[in-house]
Amino acid sequence: MATTPPTAPNPALARFPADVLEAFQRYRAKGDADAVEAVVIAAVIDYRPSSSRPAAAVTDATRLVEELEYDSVAVAELVFFLEDLFDVTLSNDDLAGVRTIADLRACVTCKLAVKARTA
Amino acid sequence: MNPVVTGVGFVTPIGNDRRTVELSLREGRHGIAPVEFLGNPELSVKVAGTVKGFSVDSPSWRDWSWPHGYDIPKEVLRGLAPHGLYAICSVEQALANAGLHPADIAEDPDTGLYCASAGSAMLLHHNLAQMRAVRGARGNPMGVVSSIAGTLNFNLAAHYRITGTVCGFVSACASSSHALGYAIDDLRLGRLRRAIVVGAEELNADSLLPFAHMRALSKQADPRLASRPFDAGRDGFVGAAGAVALLIETPEAASRRGAIPMASAAGWGQAADGHSVAAPHPEGAGLLLAMERALADAGTTPAGIDHVSAHATSTPVGDTAEAVALRRLFASRGLRPTVGATKGLTGHGLSVSGVMQAAFSVLSIAGGFVPGNPHLGAADPQCDGLELPRSTLARAPSRVLSNSSGFGGSNVCHVICAP
Repeated sequence: MATTPPTAPNPALARFPADVLEAFQRYRAKGDADAVEAVVIAAVIDYRPSSSRPAAAVTDATRLVEELEYDSVAVAELVFFLEDLFDVTLSNDDLAGVRTIADLRACVTCKLAVKARTA
Repeated sequence: MNPVVTGVGFVTPIGNDRRTVELSLREGRHGIAPVEFLGNPELSVKVAGTVKGFSVDSPSWRDWSWPHGYDIPKEVLRGLAPHGLYAICSVEQALANAGLHPADIAEDPDTGLYCASAGSAMLLHHNLAQMRAVRGARGNPMGVVSSIAGTLNFNLAAHYRITGTVCGFVSACASSSHALGYAIDDLRLGRLRRAIVVGAEELNADSLLPFAHMRALSKQADPRLASRPFDAGRDGFVGAAGAVALLIETPEAASRRGAIPMASAAGWGQAADGHSVAAPHPEGAGLLLAMERALADAGTTPAGIDHVSAHATSTPVGDTAEAVALRRLFASRGLRPTVGATKGLTGHGLSVSGVMQAAFSVLSIAGGFVPGNPHLGAADPQCDGLELPRSTLARAPSRVLSNSSGFGGSNVCHVICAP
């Protein structure tokens, strides 16, 4: 899978703001974990239901279902997007304990770490 | 009791609102444009009846765009196929045209929804290819509801919170005429007081090219030559996309809220050819019987019809079958109602075709004009005895017979008349 140069922007991110693109490139280039956080938060905001009106700013501690009104389809869409973007697989078991953005990010970074070790 | 039409909505190759569609019909302005599929300029399909102002080529709704004025939440979009987006836009127009707000029909047990669509071959293909690429491990959770043939009724029923009848029809090019027919019956039987009837189709390689492989499509690159129903030189139909919605009500329901009917759905009839999976009966036997049944249901006779909105798609075999049936019904009795084939302007919208013609007939009656056949050059000799005006006539038909025929030999005809 060496067809994409490490810093090339991913077409799946085309609709995201420049700082998210830049964060993703930073992750691709240096494996920067903070960059993963920025991308996950941006994706969670992008995929949240349009009825969702979070009371406070979206942070690592924001809960997907209770605060952002995610339903099971929106969760599935978000997970597929992250799987495709980071080339990882998040199983139902992996996601069972995910409540907050931090949980989701930890889940993704854990998978990325496994992937890096086995690469 | 005959239901009345109080609202129409259009997303069509000849316009995305009632005013533009009516102007295109009056002026004989077609909506057929050059197309290329799968990056292959060698394909024999050169033109199609394209919908303008929408961008829905991507399998991802996130890439789509549509005209301003339609506020569609992403929870709705994610379940839609491209033609579902067209359908919602057409229903929004029909409701507004009828003086109704979506809240007026939400959770109203007396409002029904009657849909016609062939589903989305593009999304079905895309979603299953994605699933197969990961050996079945995962797939789009909205893959089923966005792509199978019931996609319109699933999505529109949920979006508009329809609690009366919800159903879908799959008789191909007769399907939205079936939808209208059964909606009329439910109103007549007192089961409902209002119904939304909508047909929709999208246009892409997956929806259209299989018809080229049946040798059903025109190979012409000039729109005026490609779609020319009843012309001696016609060589196939031109595919089209779009959605058309009709809002019909019992006369009492319309009058109670002060709605002004544009036309009346006077009667309908159906009959099948019992002949071939794809080709019509060579003499239009099923179509003739369907026309006779529609006239009987409307309490009229061939002499009571002053215009026919022909199904005529511009295929050699199909137009001949319809011409023979029309001759038998009218010319053999010395009758010469005008016959117009609007697919010359729009192309053939498949599932949309029936409700599109019904809605055009409503415009014709309400607007006082009869659409002509502007692409017709030398008429097929099979049409001898049929009155095929080339240009629009400035007179209001009082009773229009609107024909549809679909695969398997389904024929469905409607009589639309002045209210």
